[in-house]
Amino acid sequence: MPAQGDPVGRKEGSALAFVKRYLIPRLIQYFLVIFLGITAVFFIPRMTPNDPVQRTLQEMKARGSYLDPGTMDEIIADLTEMYGLGGSWLDQYFAFWGRLFQGDFGVSFFQFPTRVNVLINIALPWTLGLLLTTTFFSWTLGNIIGGLAGYYARRSWSRVLDTVAMIVRPLPYYIFSFGMLLLLAYVVRWFPVSGGMEIGRTVSFSWEFIKDVLWHSVLPALSLVILGGAVMFQTMKLIVQNVNAENFVQYAKLGGVTESRIVGKYVIRNALLPQITGLALSLGQIFSGALITEIVFSYPGLGTLLYNAIITGDYNLIMGITVFSIFAITTAILIVDLTYPLFDPRVRYN
Amino acid sequence: MQNTVLRTEQLKAFYVLDQFGAQKVVKAVNEVDLDIRENEVYGIAGESGCGKTTLLKALYNAIEPPLRLVGGKIYYRVNGKDVDVTTLSAEEKRKLRWEFISYVPQGSMSVLNPVLKLKETYQDFIFSHVSRQSREEALNLAKSHIAELGLPRNVLDAYPHQLSGGMRQRVTIALAALLKPRIIIGDEPTTALDVVVQRGVVQLLKAIQVKLQNTIVLVTHDMGVQANIADRVGIMYAGKIVEEGTTEKIYGEAFHPYTRYLINSLPKFGDKTMRESAPGSPPSLANVPPGCPFHPRCPRVMEICQSQMPGFTTLGADHKAACWLAGEGKNGKAS
Repeated sequence: MPAQGDPVGRKEGSALAFVKRYLIPRLIQYFLVIFLGITAVFFIPRMTPNDPVQRTLQEMKARGSYLDPGTMDEIIADLTEMYGLGGSWLDQYFAFWGRLFQGDFGVSFFQFPTRVNVLINIALPWTLGLLLTTTFFSWTLGNIIGGLAGYYARRSWSRVLDTVAMIVRPLPYYIFSFGMLLLLAYVVRWFPVSGGMEIGRTVSFSWEFIKDVLWHSVLPALSLVILGGAVMFQTMKLIVQNVNAENFVQYAKLGGVTESRIVGKYVIRNALLPQITGLALSLGQIFSGALITEIVFSYPGLGTLLYNAIITGDYNLIMGITVFSIFAITTAILIVDLTYPLFDPRVRYN
Repeated sequence: MQNTVLRTEQLKAFYVLDQFGAQKVVKAVNEVDLDIRENEVYGIAGESGCGKTTLLKALYNAIEPPLRLVGGKIYYRVNGKDVDVTTLSAEEKRKLRWEFISYVPQGSMSVLNPVLKLKETYQDFIFSHVSRQSREEALNLAKSHIAELGLPRNVLDAYPHQLSGGMRQRVTIALAALLKPRIIIGDEPTTALDVVVQRGVVQLLKAIQVKLQNTIVLVTHDMGVQANIADRVGIMYAGKIVEEGTTEKIYGEAFHPYTRYLINSLPKFGDKTMRESAPGSPPSLANVPPGCPFHPRCPRVMEICQSQMPGFTTLGADHKAACWLAGEGKNGKAS
């Protein structure tokens, strides 16, 4: 929105000027990034030495089946056809775009013959449920506590929190989470050791099911919130200490503005500006999953799926997950760009 | 004789810094006695680094580490009673600010919150001091106040970055006058502005002072600005006031050799001779020369100057100087 009643007499930019000069070029850029990203993800796995057809054959041999050369050739031809690997890379590439527009990523190689869409649909709710909540919690808690600790940096509780964050933050996540798992699931058995729900339970909208899922998610979520929150805490505390030294904060203090106003509207409001960008970016990254969390807690999700796809050379599955991820990240950045003027009036697009 | 509204007694404010275990003391304000009256513009002048801004901080009762009040007292005359403000609690200090004494900052570039419209900044300052019932009234007052001061009415709907430097400075001056304080303290309010805008800002300050009949304490190194607006001027050198008098006295019959250098540096119409400035540079406040701190640069230095600081000698009504040339210094201590 352009500035209203601008006293320095600048021209008020109309909505049309905004669309022409900013929105359209920005959208073109958005689609270009997505196109290039997807193209890169199409070609890069094909340059790796993993050949999914050979791999499937090896698996068949390893199982002890004997194949005579003629049958072998037929199987190779069939598999190549089925995996969509026939023809030159360019032919495959065009065929791929054709299928993509229908929302079809083909079949998975390593969980043949399940479709990629089905695999993603199974894993996505777990990842979204876990990472959306933990990202939200660690961002909110880290910023509020870090903001207050930065403003009252001389108080003793602020120093204690700072020391705790300083100890927790450099711990490698896999050691930290494994320690939590040992302590809270093995030594004192408060939480389950692994899984997203009890084995054998079926998905339903019952209180029993929801309770079970929540109970299983406590440890993975807690580990993510504590470490993520500690990072957020330290960043926010530093930013707030810098903002606190800014002239407009000092001036408001000299003006006898009440402390609650200074903390909220002067310090934290300004310190949050870079943090908002950070939030959007981490929300975009959710779609690549949290691999280490999923491995340590044997939690279902996109991270493990992507990991397996990469080590088995499952092109279609890699494509499926990364296309999701590319869309999510570029869209998150687009949304930040478009909404940023709402948070920082100095940024205007016209 | 007008009543005193702001008074200091032997005010000492030092920066105490701890550098690699060694304590370093910067004597920014050293034994200053001030007697600032109601309904006057009091100018404080001096070179950069002579302690002017620190003196203002002390006068504003905003002494915070590393600055420390080492000695002396600061009194405000609030509702006919002398209040020793150095002993007040944080909340009592906060309440005096803007209602009794307000402040115009040096650079207005970054003193306004960049994400708030000026209206919101004004609201924050008003609402922090005015009771809930009279807020609406205070806000309307602010609007008419803005118009009276010749600022465009819609200035309150703008963000700080949309205003020019001069406009922003006028906005901060208007803000300082908002609650009709008895004292307004200005820390080089004209320094970052070009001369045309400077003139407007000085006139605005003067207009406010005439309207509110209050006191303005103005710090600036610009002797031209002082001559234009101040009723009385105090000349500061190395953390001390060395000469004080009415503006006419200071500009017409300056006594202290340092003051003379300052006055002589002003350009005059038709006079094309080179302006002579004080030789050398001001001393570091962490290492002030003994005796009169000006003696290493003084053209008329005597032996006694090198060992002893003179007291004030009255040279006439409302004019005194701390210089051995003027006399023994029996009329108040400057050292």
